[in-house]
Amino acid sequence: MKPIKEYNIVITGVGGQGVLTAANILGWAALHAGYKVRMGEVHGMSQRFGSVVSYVRFGEEVYGSMVPEGKGDVILSFEPVEALRYINHLKQGGMVVANTKPIVPVQVSMGQARYPSLGEIMEIVEEDFKAKWIGFNAEELAVKAGNVITTNTVLIGALTQIPEFPLEEDHVREVIRLSVPPKAVDMNMKAFDLGVKAAKDILGL
Amino acid sequence: MAKVTDMVLWDKPGEKVLLLGNQAIARGALEANIAVYAAYPGTPSSELTDTMAVVAKRAGVYMEYSTNEKVAFETALAAAWSGLRAMTAMKHVGLNVAADTFMSAVGMGVEGGFVIMVADDPSMWSSQNEQDTRVYGKFANVPVLEPSSPQEAKEMTKYAFELSEKFKHFVILRTTTRSSHARGEVVLGELPEEIKAGKRKFGKFEKDPERFVDIPAHARKFHPLILEKIEKIREEFNDMPFNWIEGDENAKVGIIAPGLAYAYVKEALHWLGVENVKVLKLGTPFPVPYGLLEKFMDGLEKVLIVEELEPVVEEQVKTWAYDRGLRIPIHGKDLVPRVYEMTTRRAVTAIAKFLGLKLPIDYEELDEKYRKALEIVPPRPPSLCPACPHRNSFYAIRKATHARGIYPSDIGCYTLGVLPPLQTVDTTVAMGGSIGIAHGLEIAQHGSISEEQRKKEKKIIVATIGDSTFFHTGLPALANAIYNRSNIVIVVLDNLVTAMTGDQPNPSTGQTPHGMGKRIAIEDVAKAMGADFVEVVDPYDIKATYETVKKALEVEGVSVIVSRQVCALYKIGQMKRRGEKWPVYYVDEDKCTGCKICINAYGCPAIYWDEEKKQARIEPSMCWGCGGCAQICPFGAFKPVEGGDE
Repeated sequence: MKPIKEYNIVITGVGGQGVLTAANILGWAALHAGYKVRMGEVHGMSQRFGSVVSYVRFGEEVYGSMVPEGKGDVILSFEPVEALRYINHLKQGGMVVANTKPIVPVQVSMGQARYPSLGEIMEIVEEDFKAKWIGFNAEELAVKAGNVITTNTVLIGALTQIPEFPLEEDHVREVIRLSVPPKAVDMNMKAFDLGVKAAKDILGL
Repeated sequence: MAKVTDMVLWDKPGEKVLLLGNQAIARGALEANIAVYAAYPGTPSSELTDTMAVVAKRAGVYMEYSTNEKVAFETALAAAWSGLRAMTAMKHVGLNVAADTFMSAVGMGVEGGFVIMVADDPSMWSSQNEQDTRVYGKFANVPVLEPSSPQEAKEMTKYAFELSEKFKHFVILRTTTRSSHARGEVVLGELPEEIKAGKRKFGKFEKDPERFVDIPAHARKFHPLILEKIEKIREEFNDMPFNWIEGDENAKVGIIAPGLAYAYVKEALHWLGVENVKVLKLGTPFPVPYGLLEKFMDGLEKVLIVEELEPVVEEQVKTWAYDRGLRIPIHGKDLVPRVYEMTTRRAVTAIAKFLGLKLPIDYEELDEKYRKALEIVPPRPPSLCPACPHRNSFYAIRKATHARGIYPSDIGCYTLGVLPPLQTVDTTVAMGGSIGIAHGLEIAQHGSISEEQRKKEKKIIVATIGDSTFFHTGLPALANAIYNRSNIVIVVLDNLVTAMTGDQPNPSTGQTPHGMGKRIAIEDVAKAMGADFVEVVDPYDIKATYETVKKALEVEGVSVIVSRQVCALYKIGQMKRRGEKWPVYYVDEDKCTGCKICINAYGCPAIYWDEEKKQARIEPSMCWGCGGCAQICPFGAFKPVEGGDE
């Protein structure tokens, strides 16, 4: 474990996508790595298919459960437009790892709102926040791994590849192995590898 | 990996685990040898109750989901009177429900330790108001403890029982969303032998009418007794493990950080790189220990109190300073907002201003960039789940009343019926409020409706209330409406669980964490009370639900419809665990005319609009197969996928 003052992950998505599960996996991986950990989550009404956010923080100087605005090292977004909803938490020059498969809100179907293009989303991330965008269709890879429910594992796999990510890939993989039902281990390991590969391809590693 | 609920009961002192604040409190209660736990769930307190429900039997603790907070309070209180350590938990507004007993019984005190856990919800992530429970502590003269980390939450819970027993007084353990729902490392302590053995503990109630019967002659002795106790506790807090002074002891400036605000203050000071300040970390926002305060204030030239919501600590500090003739600047709510939750940004901003420092980040620039980003982000409020039976009930009510009714509703997932396209919720105030409001609206509106319209629609008010909410505080309101010959329709949305707070059981099914209790059928209650029309309907049959509402509208008097179908989220969760499949629907492209009824009137989140084809589509991963869409589509475009999916 290399000592760090703080590392801040913001996980966003739509209620029901497994945001809380992903946060837990990363939290446990950080704990196993020996870090002081704080995680923040919101339960209750907002979980019902609304936008959700979880925070995972670790390091010596971490006390509160929320990633302070402008201090997030990375946003892990389960849905493209959700990458922007909490982007105020991202630091200048941070990273965004995002699933590019949209979930269209009812309000958009009703014609009350517009869903932006991927290009518009990326422009804000890259131009305004000077952040690196690592976007790919994680759902497609999850289906390839065996089931759409492994989307969060694909995304976590990708997350472990970003520059200066403090947690070891194997640490995280091990926590996933221990947390999923025995019969789903192989599928999740495959999903994790697909995520790792997707990120490596994008990052040119 | 072990389940967290198992970890809470681990006999592994010294083991470091990741616990939610609420779970850490459960562990603290077990380490304190709790005997009785009773609560009604409410976000953000629910995981404490749910954790206790899972471990209670193995730990020999009596645990129940009570029907409301007042009953839960009384159940735990009576156990504490009998010499047992007892606890109740609730969300902040739950204390309003329990307040009658809370305020009346405080003078009687307790024998066994009695801890009232109250979880506040600043910023209202899942609540209807933003009240600050510390004010209740001051109101009742009951000490309030507030943790700053999950570890402290556990230790403080243990301490709270000891404190309560020592002074024979109530103790409030106050959390907020950000401490209840913060996960962090917790080092487990020793579990008592009785908990490890799973041995139930029993107490003995010693009769003492002068203490336990609050007729005026007895009760008059309480007030001075309470005041005496709280001043002794104030003294006790001068030297206790959760209050301390840290930082530069020669500093001329000081910051007081009560409860969780301490965490934000620590982060802010690190971020600003400030070292020459003295910090008073307070785990006891009420009463503020004056001895420790005096020590802290010694040599200070100015002070800032960083606290969330009401100026509870600030007022105590200012009162103390005034009485002492101390005339240094004491800042608080002039620099720290009084509304919504505390954040590192708020702490940094307040402290930077207090010390005349430059902010570590350009918030104006950040806000501008963020504002621009949000311009293209469509709203995504929470919505009723796919296959939610409430959607069908609302759809049927709206259709049967031609959307011209007034729709008082209540607290639960179904409050989301306020959102387009259903819009069948016109009022929501507090638990059980729908029926009283419906009755009052009927009295007020009755004469304003023309005879002609009355002939067409005998009733214009249709209230909705959930099953758990009905038992919580709907019962007295229903009795009142029937007794006073109201003219309303009440639809009880009976989804057989307390869904919004996490699928807790309630009397509608009779299930309890320790096996079967006794089921109470809502229709039987309504009939026994004398409702003029009572029928049970399955909202998955939209036509039947519509017709039942129509019939109920024709009846003069109080109509009660029990719209019964199990919560879809609960049902699908159970099916997933059992590896079962459910049917998934799709849109027949030859049949869909693009009329958008399914989107603009029904609004299932699994249905979306295909802008290119100008047709509705179903997202298969979100369809839970209720078939409601197939019932409301005039063109028969929704069909089940043969053989099912998942």
